[in-house]
Amino acid sequence: MGRELLRVDMSDLSVTREPLPEAWRRYGGRALTDAIVFSEVPGDADPLGPQNVLVFSPGLLGGTSAPNGGRLSVGGKSPLTGGVKESNSGGQAAHALARLGIAALVITGRPADPNARYLIVIEADGSVSIERKDEWAGLKNYELAEKIARTRPEDDRYATIQNGPAGEAGAKASGIAVSDVKGYPNRFAGRGGLGAVMGSKGVKAIVLSDKGLSYTEHADKEAFQAALRRFASALKEHAVTGQALPTYGTNVLMNILSEAGGLPTRNFSEGSFENADDIGGERQRETILARGGQEHHGCHTGCTIQCSRYWLDKDGNYKTKGPEYETAWSMGADCGIKDLDAIAELDRICGDLGLDTIDMGVALGVYMDSGKIAFGDSEAAIDALLSGTRDGEPGRVLWDGAQATGDAFDVAHVPTVKGQALPAYDPRSVMGIGVTYATTTMGADHTAGYTITSNILSVGGTIDPLKPEGQAELSKNLQIATAMLDSAGLCIFVAFAVLDIPDAFTAIHDMLQAHTGDAWDADALVQLGKETLVFERLFNERAGFTNADDRLPSFFRKVPLPPHDIVFQVTDEDLDSVFDWVPETAREMGLLPSEQHKRGVA
Amino acid sequence: MHIEVALFAHLSEFQPDGRAGRGARPFDVAEGTTIGDIIEMLALPDEPRVLFVNNKHATEQTVLAQGDRLAIFPPVAGG
Repeated sequence: MGRELLRVDMSDLSVTREPLPEAWRRYGGRALTDAIVFSEVPGDADPLGPQNVLVFSPGLLGGTSAPNGGRLSVGGKSPLTGGVKESNSGGQAAHALARLGIAALVITGRPADPNARYLIVIEADGSVSIERKDEWAGLKNYELAEKIARTRPEDDRYATIQNGPAGEAGAKASGIAVSDVKGYPNRFAGRGGLGAVMGSKGVKAIVLSDKGLSYTEHADKEAFQAALRRFASALKEHAVTGQALPTYGTNVLMNILSEAGGLPTRNFSEGSFENADDIGGERQRETILARGGQEHHGCHTGCTIQCSRYWLDKDGNYKTKGPEYETAWSMGADCGIKDLDAIAELDRICGDLGLDTIDMGVALGVYMDSGKIAFGDSEAAIDALLSGTRDGEPGRVLWDGAQATGDAFDVAHVPTVKGQALPAYDPRSVMGIGVTYATTTMGADHTAGYTITSNILSVGGTIDPLKPEGQAELSKNLQIATAMLDSAGLCIFVAFAVLDIPDAFTAIHDMLQAHTGDAWDADALVQLGKETLVFERLFNERAGFTNADDRLPSFFRKVPLPPHDIVFQVTDEDLDSVFDWVPETAREMGLLPSEQHKRGVA
Repeated sequence: MHIEVALFAHLSEFQPDGRAGRGARPFDVAEGTTIGDIIEMLALPDEPRVLFVNNKHATEQTVLAQGDRLAIFPPVAGG
C-alpha cells in the first residue's frame, strides 16, 4: 500500500487524497507534520483560524512490528507559543493510520458554524465519513469514548483521537487525547494547545478503524526481522529500558531528581521536596500492587519497554493512567502536594477535560505562589481546575497555562519559555536541560533534548549538571537525535539503550532500510533529524521568533536555587550556538535563506 | 562517625536494618570510609549505580565525612 496524504477540509467538509509528494518520501511523524506546517501555514496565521492546519502522522516505522514504533506526531501552529508545534503521543492511532496507508491526516479550514461538532470516521476499507454530532458538545473524554463505542460494531477494532471541553473552549493549554490499548482516552498529545486547534476546526473526535488490516508490508521482510531482533534485544538488555522503566515507570525519577537538588518544588523555589518519596515511583508501584493493580503495560501495541501503568482508587477501580513522572511532579512537588491519590484526581480531571498536565500543574503552582490558594492544598487546586467550566472563574485562566496565570495574578516567577511551562527539572541545577528549554522550537520541553541522561542518570556518558561547560553541545546533539526518533515513530525512551549500545542505533537505520527499500545509514538518520529541525526553526523565524526568544526567564539567572544555591550559567553565546548549523542545512535542502524567506511571505 | 544512607528502587531491599522502605538510615562508620566500602558492607548487587552525597554526584572512591547523606540508585530513567 502506498503512503497517502488524506486531507479533510472542515470549511466545506470535502475529503481528498493524494500520494505523498516525492520530496517528502523520507519523512514521517514529526518531519512530515513539520514539512506540512512549514509549507502550508503562513507565519502570521491565527492558530485558531482557517489558515492553520492540524496534522496527524505516524512515523516511518508506524504500522510495523518495530519495537516501540507506534508513536504519533500531531502538528500545527501552537496557540500557546505562537510557533510550530509537534506534540507526540502514544496510543493506538499511529499504527491505525499507517495500516490505513495514511502518511498524514491533514485537517484544514474551519466550519462556518462555530457551534458545529463533527465526528470524522475512517473505516478499514478507506472510506471516510464526516458526521455532525452537535449533541456531543462539551462531553468529557471518558464519556465521549463511551459514546463513540456505541456507534461502532461490537467486533470492530479502532483507535480514537478525541477533543475534550478545554479544547472546545479554545484553552491554550488543551491537549488531544488518543486511545490506549484498552480504549481508554488517556494518552495525550498534551503540549502546546493543539486541543484548541482541533476545537477551532469543529472536530470533536476521529475514529480510525483498522479491523482486519495487518502490519504494513516491508521491502525486505527477512532483513527487517533481523534488524528488529537486534533492536529488541538491546532494549531488553539495557538496565533502564529492560528493568527500571517496566518495574517503576517514569515516576522512578522523583527521588533521584530530589536527591540531585533538581526537583522544582513550590513553583521553582527549591530543588528538593521533603515528600518526594511519598509521590515517587516506588510508592506508586507499592500502592498500585496493594490495590490489586498490574505492574505495567505498553502505551501502544508493539511497545516492549512497558512503562505505562493504571492508577487505581482505594476501591481498586481504574482512575487514570500513571500518573507519569511529569504529572506527579507538576501536581505534586511543584504544588507542594504530597498525596498520590490527590495527584491522580488532578490527572483524571486534566485527562477528562483535555488539559496538558505539565502546564496545568505549573499554572497551579504559579496560582499558589500568588497567594490565592495555599501550597499543598489539593482540594483548592481541584476546585480551581474544575472552575474553568464556569465563566468568570479563575480556572478558565489556568486553562490557558502557566504564563496566562502568572500574567493574570501578577506573579514574579513564571517558569515558561515561549509561553510554555517548564517541565520537571530545574535548569539551575540541571543546566543542560536549561539549554533545551531555552532553545527548542517547541517552548520549554524536556523531551526535545533530554539531557537528564548525561546530567543526572549517567546514561550516554556524564556531564556535570552544575557547570555550564558542554551543555550546549549535549543539548544540540540530543535535539537532532530526538527529531530523528520522532520522525521514525520511535518512542524517545529507546534513546536510553541507543546511547549506550551502538548496535541499537545501527539497527534503527537497518529497520528503516529494510522496511522502506530506501538507503538509510547513520548519516541519513542525522540528516533526517536536522531537516526536521530546519523546518521548525524557519517556521518560527517566519512567525517572528529571534534569538531573544531562546532564553530562560531572567529569575533563573538571578535567584539561586537551594540546596545548591546556584543560578543558570550557560552563556547566551552558547545558547545561540545550538542551531548555528541551520542556515547551511537549509541551503542543502533547497529552502530559501531565512532573510529572503521572510520577505517572500506576506 | 555518623552518616545517613538512603537506598532507592530495588536497592531498598538491602537496607542495613532489614526493614522495608527508602527512608535514610543512620550508619556508624570509621573515618576514611569510602562509598565503595559501604556498597561492599551492604552487599549491593554488582551493577552500575548513580551515587549522590549531599545532593552532589559522587563516585565509589568518594571518602565520606561526618553527617554526610549518601543516596544510592540503580540505573533508572524516565521522562
